Amino acid sequence: MSPIKAGSSAGTTPAEAAPAATPSLAKRLRFDVKSAGELGAFVVLIVVFAILNPSTFLTAKNIQTILNQSAIPLIIAVGATLVILMGSIDLSVEGVMGAAGMTFVLMSANSRGGTGYGVVVALIVAVAVGMVLGLVSGLIHTRLRVPSFIVTLGVWYVGLGIATLLFGTEQIPFLTSDSLKAWPTSLTLGLPNSFWLAVLLVLAGAAVGRYTRLARWTYAIGNNEQIALGNGIPVARVKVINFVGAAGCSAFAGVLASIQIGAGSATVGVGSLFLTIAAVVIGGTALSGGKGGILRSALGVLLLTTLNNGLILSGVSPNIQSGVSGVVLIAAIIAAAWPYRGRLRVSK
Amino acid sequence: MAVRTRRRLAAAALAAAVSIGLTACTSTSGGSGGTQQPLKKEDLVLVASVINTTNPYMASMIEGSKALSEKLGIPLKIVDSQGSSQTEISQIQSILAQGKKVVLMVNTVASSDAPPIVNAVKAAGGYVVIWWNKPDNLEPWNVGNNFVAFQKYSGVESGQCNGKSIGDALGPAGGGVIMLPGVQDSTTSQTRVAGFKDALKAYPSVKVLEERPANWDQQKGFQETQTMLAKYGDQVKAIWAADDAMMLGAIEAVKQANRPDIKFASDGIYPPTIDYIKQGVPIVGETFHRGYMAASIGLFTAYQAATGALDVSKMPQEQRDSLFKLACVSPQNYQDYTKYDSNIPGWVDTLIANGPFKTEPTPLVGQGPEKLPS
Repeated sequence: MSPIKAGSSAGTTPAEAAPAATPSLAKRLRFDVKSAGELGAFVVLIVVFAILNPSTFLTAKNIQTILNQSAIPLIIAVGATLVILMGSIDLSVEGVMGAAGMTFVLMSANSRGGTGYGVVVALIVAVAVGMVLGLVSGLIHTRLRVPSFIVTLGVWYVGLGIATLLFGTEQIPFLTSDSLKAWPTSLTLGLPNSFWLAVLLVLAGAAVGRYTRLARWTYAIGNNEQIALGNGIPVARVKVINFVGAAGCSAFAGVLASIQIGAGSATVGVGSLFLTIAAVVIGGTALSGGKGGILRSALGVLLLTTLNNGLILSGVSPNIQSGVSGVVLIAAIIAAAWPYRGRLRVSK
Repeated sequence: MAVRTRRRLAAAALAAAVSIGLTACTSTSGGSGGTQQPLKKEDLVLVASVINTTNPYMASMIEGSKALSEKLGIPLKIVDSQGSSQTEISQIQSILAQGKKVVLMVNTVASSDAPPIVNAVKAAGGYVVIWWNKPDNLEPWNVGNNFVAFQKYSGVESGQCNGKSIGDALGPAGGGVIMLPGVQDSTTSQTRVAGFKDALKAYPSVKVLEERPANWDQQKGFQETQTMLAKYGDQVKAIWAADDAMMLGAIEAVKQANRPDIKFASDGIYPPTIDYIKQGVPIVGETFHRGYMAASIGLFTAYQAATGALDVSKMPQEQRDSLFKLACVSPQNYQDYTKYDSNIPGWVDTLIANGPFKTEPTPLVGQGPEKLPS
């Protein structure tokens, strides 16, 4: 826990909260300085684990393992950050992953028979299934004014239900293409493909977060929805778009997870929600919205994945490990909220 | 005001009296146990309660229940506990309240669910067989005839079978083994782990490198294996998992790490495991037992108790706290057992003909509760 320093995630500058279309070098540098806390924690973590496990932690194989394991939460974190930046939350991650993953497997060549429709078509349909679920969340949240917390909680189970129906009572559907299954962990330039894919999505997400009007509106809604509405920002539309985008990311992650285990499973996403939300918050994106960014969340994911991996390599008992993850999350949130603990601040 | 309060009090008292009366009624009608008349077939409903509907083992249990329901001509209800004891108990209670006499098989989510379920079934005059989990001190003969039996496969035996297979396969050179248990507080997992370690005592050159619980989950089995391979590298010579789902994840991780020398053993010999054996993946030991067999044996035992074909009060204790036969299979002989999978209704026919305790390949072999090797 010590690596997470107090005040390390002390929010962001107004410049980042509403980035200009062409950010100057100075602004970019300021972002880097503000992120130094998390980066520092990450470096400390790496040094500590490298000392504890000199022969295993910094090997190429282990680094590849860490990067491969962070790919799925990285992809989810892109969408989750956009939603959290608005001050909303998307709890449907695991359900969407299950529904999209099952869709993908059943539409690809699999052991239940059939040659499938090819990877591209299967991927598009699977992500579309996820996006429809996101659209449902977004529309119910904005049109019927139901809190996102409860809508997405419901959609989580709807997604899980769809996945369960698709799974049916037949035997597990296995992907039959060995080259497809091997793709995520195969190396390109020394790093696993799954990680490259995640990097691509994170960079795309970061670009959206920095250069588009949608992102500026997203930050504005998170800062103060009333003012955003008063200034003519199409709040409902922005929210729906972000929910659809987030569900699309979750769906993509569900597909990747299914390819990795080479089989369809309704519960392919189990555990992803905790890891991702924890990573977003540890990265410094405020749950109240308006502050933070996708690159910060990416750092949060790498931090948590490295922590989990390091604890295992150091021989920490699995009984303690889940407790440690929870404590780290709470410690990080306390650190993140430290500068804002003013007497008049309302915390819900 | 005073009058109103008094009226309210009276109403409350009346309500209380009525509810006490009702409870008294149900407990007298249902609690008679031994003297209860055999039930007619058309008054019965079969109920199979499973932990979830996505795990292949649970899917197999549902398949077996359906086959038995069709053969007996009695309607079937499936309870999906969704992994939650609360959901399980409340769904069973609402089915009991619907009036028909319940013939129930429950794969309990947790051991502690057994007492409330057993008591509710007893109060409603139904018959229940519990599979896999119950507290050791809750014995059917202490509860009464409505708790017909508890049934399971020996976890210790499963672990011992796998341990021996891996020990033999690694030979005198031995080597390191990674263990992937299920959810840590599961008795099924604990007994299998104990059996596995017990068998390895005969192979001093085989060393357990680490135990990583993978929660019966394929994805977790994949990830834990990845990390373990990064940690121990070439020291890993074999991987054991407490069930096939986790082993399938491990196989995928090992394939991607390009380590075709690593050997596997696990429990359940699922259809995809058979495919891997055929492809030449070195799965050196497996145990054969089936969800459809377990569920239909459980339901059929409860059914025979309900119709009077089995006189519960005269059943020997081993038929009421039972261990069924588990086959320890190898890549050479597994087909002798998996042949049953292609004709489940046919197997259910033999079950109905021979009774729950004498049907091959899984007759009754011993009495519980299961003891851990010291």
